[in-house]
Parts: sequence; C-alpha cells; structure tokens
Amino acid sequence: MGTTGGARTATDALQRSESGRLNTAVAAILREPFARRAHRELLFCLVDVLAGAVGFASIVLLLVPGTAVSAIRGGTMLVVLLVAVVASGAARRLGSVFRRLANRLLGDSVPPPLPAREATGAYKRLWTRLRDGASWRAVAYVLLRLPMAVLGLYAVAFWAGVINLTYPFWWRLFRNHPPNVELSPAWFLTPFGPFRVGAFAGTFLVFALGVAMVLTAPWVTRAVTSVDHWLVQRLLGPGRSDERVRRLQQTRARLVDDSAAAMRRIERDLHDGTQAQLATLAMRLGQAKEKLENGSEMPFDPDGALELVDAAHRQAKEALVELRGIARGIHPPALDLGLDAALATLVARSAVPTALRIDMPVRPTPAIETIAYFSVAELLANVAKHSRARQAEVEVIGGEERLRIRVIDDGVGGAMLEVGRGLKGLESRVGGVDGALSIGSPPGGPTAVTVELPVHA
Amino acid sequence: MRVVIAEDAAVMREGLSRLLEDHGHEIVAAVADGDALLEAATRHHPDVAVVDIRMPPSYTDEGLRAAIALRREQPNVGVLVFSQYVETRYATQLLGEGSAGVGYLLKDRVADVGEFVTALARVAAGGTALDPEVVSQLVGASRRGAALDASLTPREGEVLSLMAEGRSNAGIADRLVVTEGAVEKHVANIFAKLGLPVSESDNRRVLAVLRYLES
Repeated sequence: MGTTGGARTATDALQRSESGRLNTAVAAILREPFARRAHRELLFCLVDVLAGAVGFASIVLLLVPGTAVSAIRGGTMLVVLLVAVVASGAARRLGSVFRRLANRLLGDSVPPPLPAREATGAYKRLWTRLRDGASWRAVAYVLLRLPMAVLGLYAVAFWAGVINLTYPFWWRLFRNHPPNVELSPAWFLTPFGPFRVGAFAGTFLVFALGVAMVLTAPWVTRAVTSVDHWLVQRLLGPGRSDERVRRLQQTRARLVDDSAAAMRRIERDLHDGTQAQLATLAMRLGQAKEKLENGSEMPFDPDGALELVDAAHRQAKEALVELRGIARGIHPPALDLGLDAALATLVARSAVPTALRIDMPVRPTPAIETIAYFSVAELLANVAKHSRARQAEVEVIGGEERLRIRVIDDGVGGAMLEVGRGLKGLESRVGGVDGALSIGSPPGGPTAVTVELPVHA
Repeated sequence: MRVVIAEDAAVMREGLSRLLEDHGHEIVAAVADGDALLEAATRHHPDVAVVDIRMPPSYTDEGLRAAIALRREQPNVGVLVFSQYVETRYATQLLGEGSAGVGYLLKDRVADVGEFVTALARVAAGGTALDPEVVSQLVGASRRGAALDASLTPREGEVLSLMAEGRSNAGIADRLVVTEGAVEKHVANIFAKLGLPVSESDNRRVLAVLRYLES
C-alpha cells in the first residue's frame, strides 16, 4: 500500500468516526427523555414543587389575611417559627431529610455536617443550638426552596410536552362538529405560556412543539437540579469550618500515628543495635575479668583476656557509631546552627552528588526547620534508593510567609504518593503544619518534589 | 550442659556461644527465631534453652511463645528466657506452667558471667532463676492487685517484698531499721506460713515469693 492510499484510509476513518460521533450524539439526545437519570431528576423536581407548595402555603396562611398589621404579625410569627425550628434541633433533621433525598435521587454523596456540639443544661443547650451553623444553613436551604420550587415547576412543565403529542390523535374524535358551529379553540401548554389552537392543521404544530419540549425537558430539569445540587452541597453538607476541622482532625491523627511510629523505630534501633552491642560488650568484659581474677573458676589466661578486651574495645567503638546515627535521626545537632548549616552537612553526605542553593532571609521557627531538614533527608534518601540519578539539586527559597524546598534529580522518574510509602508519610508530616507537597515525576524523569512550609509553625 | 540458643542479634548469639563454650558447655544449636528453636529442641533434646523474647518476624513476644510451647512439649528441658526489658505479663505467662526449670533474666545479667552461668545451670537442673527486677515487678503488681494473702502480717509482707528484690537478711534489716535477728524471725515465719520445707536450697527465697504470688 502506497503513502497516498494510507493517507486516504486514515481520512476515511476520520470521517467515519466523525459521523459516528454525530450519530451517537443524536442517539444520546433522543434517548435522554427515557433515561432513568432524567426520570429521577424529574421526580426530584416534583418533590421540589410539592415541598415548595407546602412551604408557600404555610407562609401564605401566616401572612394573609392581608392587612399591614397582620402582615407584620405574620412576619414576626415566621421569624419566631424559624428560630423555634433551629432551637428545637428540627432544622438539622429537616436538612438531613433533604440531603438524603438529594443523595438518593440525584446520586450525590454529600456528607452530613459535623455532629452538633453537645451541652448540658437547658439554657446552654438552647444557646449552642442557636449558634449552630449547620442548623441555620438548613433553614436557609428550606427558604431557598421556595424560588427553587418555581424553577422546578417550570422544568416540570416541559415534560407536559407529552400531552401536546396527543393533540392530533383525539382532535378528530372530539371535534367532528357540524359545519357553522363555532367551537372555542383548545388550550395547550408551551414554555412561553398557554396558547390556543383552533384547527386540525394547528395540532401538528402542537405535536412538533411537544416533541421539542420532551427532548429539551431532561436538560431543563438537569439545570434546575444542578442548582439544587449546588445548594445542597453548600448548605446541607459540612460547612467550610467543618471541613477545616475535619482536615485538622485527619492530619492530627496522622501526625500522632507518625510520631508513634518514629518512636517505635527509635526504640527498635536502640534495642536491636546499641543495647545488644552493649550487653555483649559487658559480657565480654565479664569473661575477660573471669580469666584474670584470682579465685574464679576459670583458669588464669591473660592472652584469652586480652583477645576478649580487644573484641570489646572494637564493639564499644561500633556502638558509638550506631548511637551517633540514632541520635542524629532524633535531632540533627547541626540544626542548632541553622537550617542552612544542617542542609550543607546533609547534602555533603548524600550518596548522589548534590548541589545546594539556599536563599532564606528569614530564619524559620525550629519546628519548621526540623520538618524541612527531615523532608530533604527523606527526599535525598529516596533519590539515592530509587531514582538511579547521576546528580541532584536541593533548592531552598524562603519568603516572609512561606518556605519552598525543591529537590530535583535527573533519574528515572515515576515517583508517586502511595499509602504506606515514605512520600505519603512525608506528606502527612508537612500537611500537619499546613504545608503542601507536590510531585512532578513523569516516567523517564526528571523528578522534582516541592515541599512548601509556613515559615512560622 | 547441652544448650540451644535462640537470639536474633548476631553479636549476642556469637558472644553467648563463645562464653558458654568457654565454660565447657556444648552449644548444640544457635538459631535466630522461635520456630527454629522448637525444631532444634526436638532434634537435639538439649538440657536447657536460652531464649530471647523479641525475635522476628513480628519482634514482639515470639521468643516467649516459643518458650512456653517448648515447656509444654518437653517439660524436662530447662528454659531461660532473657530480654532487654522485664514485663510482668510475660513473667506470669511463663510461670503459669509452674516454676520448675524456668528462668527469666534481664540481658544485662550476662555481664556477671559467673552468676549467669550458675543461673543457667540451676534452670537446666530444674530449678528457678528469676531476675530481681522480675520479682519486684511481680510483687508490686500483686500488691496493687489486692490479692494479699491475709495470713501474712504487714511487716512480713514488707520483708517478703524486700526479699523479692534480692536483698539479704542484713540488707532487709538495714532498710527496716531492725536487727538481723528480727528479720530472720520474720523470714522463718513467712516460710512456715507459706508451707515451705526447711532446706538449704538457694531457691527457697524465690519459692517463697512465688508461693506468695500464687496465693
């Protein structure tokens, strides 16, 4: 096959796929009025209308009969009613009914707001309830349902296009009147209000309009329900401060876990390393003593003793090295001189040749310096372990408010945030002080991990 | 003695082997985890096993569980459990099967080589070797647990606690500011009340404590 042939096939395929896409789009539009989702949304709109009607009726009952005095009285009663709804805790229950309805019918998954604060004593409980944001947001939602009900009614009216479809079929049955008898024209519904049709030919126009209405109806209901969906999310879900509390709870839990894990790791290191070393060392010295002591059950053996002392000596030195490593893992002494000094030492010890650039006019608080240091330590360890990089760079840029740390390597890339892995732990440690961690690591590299921290914790 | 060692830290394992061989004992196996210990014990039928509590895979109480299993399978094999820490619960679990041929020592005790080897020999011969720290913790736990044997006077209880810490009669007398003779009388009363036969065994003081704890 020649080049042109190949090109033509490609163009054909493109055209075919384009017309295919058009076909599927048309099919989707035609199918939409019969989709389950559309029906659920219609049902939601109907409930909207119903609930709105109930709400509207109650308000009318309160405000009408219409003198100014009674309107003021009714308005006061309405306010009292709303306060009572909040004070009794019913607002939250009402909100949860609507939230669950939306979740059920619209397939949302809006989480409930945080539980209300508990208080003992009647006055205190009343006071906490009146200050409960979730309750007032639920009340706002219920009030906003009134205009939403009007929109819902309008959306539902589009589905009345189904009735318009029937006009050509029954027209002849009911309108076979003798000549010269003038019949009043029949009403039919359009999105622009009711109109009248007087002749059989007109019913075909009504039919066509019905088709158009039924085809657009799903999209109108969807538009209305999506506004409602937004309201549900904003007003019936957890509030912004709730979200913050939730996030803080999460990061705190992770921090506690992390620090417990760190303590466990240190204990493990001490137990398996230093303690075992020192116990053996003491044992060797004890043995040597036995060989030198008068009156012990072992024979006098200075050479054997010397050999044991030698081994013990070596072990004491090993234990010192191990202990130094563990101590540095707890708190690097160089950090007392400042982050820049500590990072310089760290970078110099890195297995992959690493350049360091620091521009930090403000010295961060000690906690931030520690987190920054261990972040770089962890990232450099990752570079050495996984990246197969030839060189790396650490860049620290400090501002008045934020400190940005970037570790870049020219390795194979593909670094990811995975649960239970080092980077995930680092993320939670950084998140614990309202910092952020982001990774750019396409397969094939290069990898750049950025850690942003507040300068003051 | 024919000894099996179960200890995951290589330095310790080798040091211990060397020490015991120096003292003329035979190391029939030196392993690094609980399963290997049970296997070695079944194969070699040693006189005594030295078992570290914390070993792989979970680094919690593998050694202890292996030691308890070993005692059930081969009651005539002495088991000396040793560890960096003393845990009351481990001690009660270990002693739950009886105190004959059981030892529980801190690892630090290997520094006093002679005493350690003697303790190991005692365990191998069916005796008991409990670390003073183990005993004092057990007594403390029991005292807090209100399981006090009513037949001991408060003074005798005090003497028993001090005894459990490993103090001699002279040391106890010193501490309580009484004469040594008075302490001897208390000790004799304790032995009598706990029904311990008069014998010149080293174990008698330990047995007194254990009997007291079991009551």
